[in-house]
Amino acid sequence: MTPVITTPYVTNYLTEHFADDGYRTLKGYEAKGGYQAIRKALRMEPDDVAAAVKESGLRGRGGAGFSCGLKWSFMPKETDQMKVLIANADESEPGSFKDRIILERGPHVMLEGILIAAWATGSSRAYIYVRGEYAHPADCAERAIEELYRAGYLGRNCFGKKGFDVDIYVHRGAGAYICGEETGLLESLEGKKGQPRKKPPFPAQYGAFGLPSTVNNIETFAHVPFIIDRGVDWFRGIGTEKSTGTTIFGVSGHVERPGLFELPLGTPLREILGHAGGVRHGRALKGVIPGGVSMPILPASDLDVPMADEFLAERGTHLGTGGMVVMDETTCMVRVACVVSYFFRDESCGQCTQCREGTGWMNRICQRIEEGRGVPADLEVLGDLPGMLEGQTICAFADAAAWPIGGLLRHFRDDFEAHIRERKCPFPESFEL
Amino acid sequence: MPKITVDGTEYEVPEGKMMLQALDDLGLLLTEIDIPHYCWHPKLSIDGSCRMCQVEVEGTPKLQIACNTPVRDGMVIRTNTEQVRTAQRGVMELLLINHPLDCPICDQAGECKLQDFAVRYGLEHARTRDPRRPAKKGTPLGPTIMLDQERCILCRRCVRFCREIPKTGEIGVFARGDHSLLEVFSGMELDNPYSMNVADICPVGALTTRDFRFKIRVWFLEDRETVCNQCANGCNLYASVAYNKVYRYLPRRNDGVNETWICDYGRMSYRTIRENRLDEPRLGRSTATYSAAIRRAGEGLRQARDSGGRIVGVGSAFAANEDLFVLRQLLDGLSAGPGLLVVPTGKADELLIKEEKAPNAAGARLLGFEESSGPVGPAAVALVLGHALPAEAFEGVETLILIDTHRSPLVERADVVLPARYFAEKVGTFVNHARRIQRFLPVVEPVFECEPEGQVLQRIAVAAGLDGFSGTYDPFEISKRLAEEATAFAGAELGTLDDQGQEIP
Repeated sequence: MTPVITTPYVTNYLTEHFADDGYRTLKGYEAKGGYQAIRKALRMEPDDVAAAVKESGLRGRGGAGFSCGLKWSFMPKETDQMKVLIANADESEPGSFKDRIILERGPHVMLEGILIAAWATGSSRAYIYVRGEYAHPADCAERAIEELYRAGYLGRNCFGKKGFDVDIYVHRGAGAYICGEETGLLESLEGKKGQPRKKPPFPAQYGAFGLPSTVNNIETFAHVPFIIDRGVDWFRGIGTEKSTGTTIFGVSGHVERPGLFELPLGTPLREILGHAGGVRHGRALKGVIPGGVSMPILPASDLDVPMADEFLAERGTHLGTGGMVVMDETTCMVRVACVVSYFFRDESCGQCTQCREGTGWMNRICQRIEEGRGVPADLEVLGDLPGMLEGQTICAFADAAAWPIGGLLRHFRDDFEAHIRERKCPFPESFEL
Repeated sequence: MPKITVDGTEYEVPEGKMMLQALDDLGLLLTEIDIPHYCWHPKLSIDGSCRMCQVEVEGTPKLQIACNTPVRDGMVIRTNTEQVRTAQRGVMELLLINHPLDCPICDQAGECKLQDFAVRYGLEHARTRDPRRPAKKGTPLGPTIMLDQERCILCRRCVRFCREIPKTGEIGVFARGDHSLLEVFSGMELDNPYSMNVADICPVGALTTRDFRFKIRVWFLEDRETVCNQCANGCNLYASVAYNKVYRYLPRRNDGVNETWICDYGRMSYRTIRENRLDEPRLGRSTATYSAAIRRAGEGLRQARDSGGRIVGVGSAFAANEDLFVLRQLLDGLSAGPGLLVVPTGKADELLIKEEKAPNAAGARLLGFEESSGPVGPAAVALVLGHALPAEAFEGVETLILIDTHRSPLVERADVVLPARYFAEKVGTFVNHARRIQRFLPVVEPVFECEPEGQVLQRIAVAAGLDGFSGTYDPFEISKRLAEEATAFAGAELGTLDDQGQEIP
């Protein structure tokens, strides 16, 4: 089967050449000025490279939005141990499909970013952790790595820089959501069951195979060459004051033209929906999940919010991965709750009490309400559960499971109450479970 | 040493420890400071998953798990704020939505942490309307342990135990989310010399020992302090007693001896308190009264001494120091030379099990008993404690006086047989392989007439007409003398020993 290859509908610096088939190859990438940023970085002191990335304000694109430069600074300076970088392409958040396009259409941008990060942090090994379902994207990454080895850019003395030794490996996951969480990923990478680690110790002290490690989303790495090449000021000129640069928004659901759109952070939600052709069949919008299903839903009234974390946080949600799910007026929000809670019930690793038991309970209640068997007391428990899960577990999975349910209840409580009152689902046209 | 404040009281705690460990090291946990926990265990790695030990740390907005939060100087911790109580209520409610409420038929009831904490920290009523997750009930995991999968709260103490202590790793948690199940790995059984410890550390009724389950309700039991007598390690125990009967042994924590573990062999040895006991005095092949047997033994010894016949004493590595001391006195009084000692041996491991399969070989050696395995005879009289030697070893012995706790082929060979109190029925001290002197106290009363070896020997000495014997035996008095006289026992006196024992020079 030939894999479906798509490119973003709206491009900016990062995805500018993604439509060009040659860009995937080393030759094509270099023809567009590729691997100049790493050469420039190698002429700089590693600390200056790290400082530039920190000053650029680049925030992680994997969901948490943590400062990339700050994360790099956690790596120990004085250590005899090998340091490890991990590029997270697990992309397991439903609604997100941007990492795939980077692996397929621009693997060298990501690899150049990893190499710059390796220089900045003194790392000599990198793993690209690709979700198991991404067989073709993983092949693309492996091909690109092979090209680099053949060109002599990887291995010992990369780009002719004496003592700059980097090896990059592709590791294929086995399809668990939790392996996108950085310490769950580390366990999986080590061949163990994907279960997040308690912290402390943090990955920068005790990461993959016990070595100091930094995990970044692959899109985060992909922005780095541009920051080095074009400068911190240029990068800060894009996006908002606190969220710099562009990101690849993914829009799916009830829109005319679902797809990927590379836009500056802070682009209003309304504008992004416009790029996606608006709500399908001219229907009214009901709500938008802004960044992967773990983020609380935005009601239609919030259409003018700039899509950057600082503005979304004011509305009780987050940018997440920027993978938006659009829902029109026919959508039953209880069904949405069923789907989302089923997903998190199924994907909870099962370590922490609240997450293991709470995700199942939330799902059972949602299911019952959707089937018309709910009682008002169910709604009370469902309202309490997100608070019982949030912020109390080893990793942020419980938050991810709790937030969407909390958001749905906050904005669409009427839907839930109607189910209980009418003893059936009042949205016959909604998607089927 | 860092100072921390817990609920308004300042404590000095060891450096670089996690909060729970630091408080436990000081003996404060669950005594002065209540931080409930399930997955944390002082002797296992930290899991951090049950989330029951969450506490408030000043300056940190989120609750922190006490098991994995390092102590810092000046840390201010609160364990009973509304935020903490809400979190604990949440954990309890969530643990119980899939846990069967079958306490009335659960063998853990009465010593169940889920039950205890539900009462202390939980809600009064269940809010769940869903059926609980069904899983396997009462399935054996191996020869010693039964699993009730429905009751498991997935704290993984047992999994960590098997990986970290016997390093056998037979069990794991399979699947994920609320489908997670404790299981043995396929093709394996939970079968290692320490397997039954998992039942002790299981906070709920998921893992129970096949030996003890359904024997008795635990609230009828009283845990009495004792030590194991099955090898030279001398693991510290509780004997759970009801109706003058020991129903089980449990490990008693002693970081200098057995931490919190015991081996399965030692655990099952509670049976030796009642099984195969030597329960009647005998003269030759016929039953006799206690006094008649003592009289006969005394006469035998006197005649041998008067006629210049050889008298041999054989001590036992199962006997207490105090008993052995009386035997030594008696042998000295008869000018019989040092007593012999035979120590049974077997396989050892690197954890607890020692090669010498008796509790007090070290003590017997310190008291001057000399190791031998050869024949005892020829002799006029052999005065023997225990049955470490086979009957053949006594060829050429005219009169064999046997003082013992259990039946053995030697009983048939002996001319005078006197049943003695077992260690579980008396007070005394043992010295373990690492020269730690440990006390043991009576946990049950014997169900037939018998006396401590020291008492029997005293009476025999009087019957033999020896000077300096009163006919009464006071182990406390003897221990005091030993502590004063014998340099090896200096300062280690039964009356002042505590439940952790004491190392001797």
